[in-house]
Amino acid sequence: MSISRRNFLKASALTAAAAAIGVEPLHKSSVLAAAVQESVVWYKSVCRFCGVGCGVMLGVKDGKPFGIKGDKECPVNKGLLCVKGFYLHRMITAKNRLLHPLVRKNGKLEKASWDEAMDLVASRFKEILEKDGPNALAYYGSGQAQTEETYLAQRLFKGYIGTNNADGNPRLCMASAVGGYTTSFGADEPIGTYKDIEHCNLFLIIGSNTAEAHPVIFDLLVQRKKDSPSCKIIFIDPRKTPTNRIVDLHLQVKPGYDLAIMHAIARQLIKDGYTDEQFIKDSVNFSNGKDPITYDDYKAFLEKYTPEYAAEQADINPADIVKAARMFGESPTAMTMWCMGVNQRVAGVFLNNLIHNIHLLTGKLGKPGCDSFSLTGQPNACGGVREAGGLCHILPGHRLVANEQHRKVVAEIWKTSPDKIQPTPGKHTVAMFGAAAKGEIKGMYILCTNPAQSLPNLNKYIPGMKDTFLVVAESFYPTETSKIADVVLPVAFWGEKEGVYGCTERRSQHLAKALNPSGESRWDGDVIVDLAKRMGYGKGFEHFKGPEDVWSEYQKTTAGTDMDLSGATYDRLKKVRGLTWPVPDTSHPGTWHRFTEGDPYFPKDKAGNRRMYFYAKPDGKAVIFARPDKGPEEPVSAEYPVVLTTGRILEQWHTMTMTGQIPELVRANPVPYAELNPDDAKLWGIKNRDKVKIITRRGLLTVKAKVIDRTRKGTIFIPWHWPESLTNILTIDAVDPGSFEPEYKVAACQVAKA
Amino acid sequence: MKRKIYLILIILSFGLLSAGFINNTQSENQNSLLLKDKHPKVDWTIGCTECHEEITPKVFKDWNMSKHGQVGFGCFICHGDGQEEFNAKGKDNGCLGCHSAMEVNFKKTKVKSCFDCHNGHTLKFHN
Repeated sequence: MSISRRNFLKASALTAAAAAIGVEPLHKSSVLAAAVQESVVWYKSVCRFCGVGCGVMLGVKDGKPFGIKGDKECPVNKGLLCVKGFYLHRMITAKNRLLHPLVRKNGKLEKASWDEAMDLVASRFKEILEKDGPNALAYYGSGQAQTEETYLAQRLFKGYIGTNNADGNPRLCMASAVGGYTTSFGADEPIGTYKDIEHCNLFLIIGSNTAEAHPVIFDLLVQRKKDSPSCKIIFIDPRKTPTNRIVDLHLQVKPGYDLAIMHAIARQLIKDGYTDEQFIKDSVNFSNGKDPITYDDYKAFLEKYTPEYAAEQADINPADIVKAARMFGESPTAMTMWCMGVNQRVAGVFLNNLIHNIHLLTGKLGKPGCDSFSLTGQPNACGGVREAGGLCHILPGHRLVANEQHRKVVAEIWKTSPDKIQPTPGKHTVAMFGAAAKGEIKGMYILCTNPAQSLPNLNKYIPGMKDTFLVVAESFYPTETSKIADVVLPVAFWGEKEGVYGCTERRSQHLAKALNPSGESRWDGDVIVDLAKRMGYGKGFEHFKGPEDVWSEYQKTTAGTDMDLSGATYDRLKKVRGLTWPVPDTSHPGTWHRFTEGDPYFPKDKAGNRRMYFYAKPDGKAVIFARPDKGPEEPVSAEYPVVLTTGRILEQWHTMTMTGQIPELVRANPVPYAELNPDDAKLWGIKNRDKVKIITRRGLLTVKAKVIDRTRKGTIFIPWHWPESLTNILTIDAVDPGSFEPEYKVAACQVAKA
Repeated sequence: MKRKIYLILIILSFGLLSAGFINNTQSENQNSLLLKDKHPKVDWTIGCTECHEEITPKVFKDWNMSKHGQVGFGCFICHGDGQEEFNAKGKDNGCLGCHSAMEVNFKKTKVKSCFDCHNGHTLKFHN
């Protein structure tokens, strides 16, 4: 490679400058001095969107965002981006960035100073605390906040203010997966990692439009099929989606009726002799959800779930169930992947359990190419919320508020009294906003999320949010939530702050600070510490000078737990492309399969000859559950004869706060729409692009009809992204009784030409 | 001897590639819009692919069957949104988003853009 002297000097200077601030420039690139990269410093980071955890490099030139690249060194995406990540750098300077605090005066949000805004928040919160007690206050966080931010907020609300009304939006997307993992395996989060994809020959995708919701995972699947032509994909989903392009067998089920199918697959696996009897004997218990049962009891329970019965429930061909079971059984490896189609259901935890069941029956767990692998919707739902204690029943390090010993350990690290942490779970998201609607919660701090668009059955909750003293910490304005807030605090966006994200595969990755915060915006962590000080808790927070201090304290809460991050220091995380926990010391490389010999916490003495020992369960055995099949909360009826299901599209993310600022992404689908099956549309006299009215028991929405062969007959699909067309006024707020996650995926509606 | 074989191969490849260019140009002209500096004014409430599937079916088919089509890298990635920005031909910096390992210093090559070799809507090498 030849390089001019001038460019060599430039490259050397950039490398030195980058090293001085602790980032890794792409100095190994053979063409650092190429014209397109002159004077650009690249910072190692992680994508801001879904839970895949793609490594990205943010380019900065003259103090401004210059461009973005997939990080080719990152083992997650190996340099790839999806269409959303492709525009991430432009969102930093989007027109809707909030650059100064806003305070509501005479009904209008007006520009204010930080002091004025923070004094108001602190004084109102103190006033509520003194008058109505700690449970009149609440915190509602986000799976997009960095771990340090979530940790600090939990510390303030649970450990100092003294309320467990501290939940987060992963309650709306991943809580059922948490419930499934903890009940089946004893501990949250997957056993394997993405590395299993490279070894897998049979993928079962259920309730996930992977191609649009997790595009880089989809790309890994495309690559796997290319590398291994014998690799097959089974798809269980009510819609044909872009994911179908790589699918070998599609079970296009009636929304809400797939539990019986999972039981029927389990039954068939047993009948056909595909079970791993030694594994079952060594590592599995059986339960009916209340009491232990025997393997024979379980077999007897499954007898009801013939392919014919399950097929009738889900309105599919019974032969396809048998075929799916045989494909799963015959393949030496298998991974199941799922997302909101499984979790956002009133039987979400049950369905998670039933997925784990078929892996436990066949022993397809804890070895290369095998896992029961939940896909996560947000970039730090796992790392920040599920691991750092961001839900109303948990504490950092997979601990529980209800456990006295857990409260004691955490309180000591938090430098607070154990009595300050309440022993009972606080209000989960839907209950929290329900309490606000009733006037029981009077003050709420919302960080990096937009519940006025994302909650189900919105009409029920928005008036209460308006009446509550609402503080919103956001990078963008307006959002549906910040519009109705009393105080809006401008906070630094991705690229303007340092922190850690933990993705779907237990990988914690460091995000470098590449830019100064825009306008007057500040790091969320700094704002929370400021609030703590103004509320009189300064002593407990004064040692936090920056995110590394927070992370270092958080690491202590994980020491000795199943999610030990002791070896994931900032120094190390800045250099490597993430570490998959448990990682108990700084020489540990991270763990591929939990509960196996490669896991540093695998108790060899207890395990004996067992291949897997689920050490979070008392006897080291996972549980196969005989759960009843349960349909949706709101089945169709004569009055509401059509199924409404909601979801996402490739080019938009959640409430469009970020992606809605990029004209190119908006161009892909410029206006809100509902997908209608062509046969239904013909029957209802609706043509493509006609306006249609969608009516549920909760609201009415008028959108454009997209007549397309995707949904089943009798089902419509609406993406929920557009703020001008709030899909969630239609959805139902019934929740899973175990996870308290709402059933966004199934409601009954009427459809008519507008 | 080896040199001769390489030379023959290069000449043959060039011949085949030229034929590819000609074929491609002919078929594109049959049903493509003539791309100028501005996108024609259209019904902007319709997404790119929804319209182009009807207006330029060959272009749509080529893209849809390509790797970019498979993973949903839509028209807008190379051509802009059509209203605020429109590029008849893609920009190289965009390619670097995913293909940073393939970065090229065009000062040292005869070609001046990724699209000089990766052309058409399949973006296959010398399509």
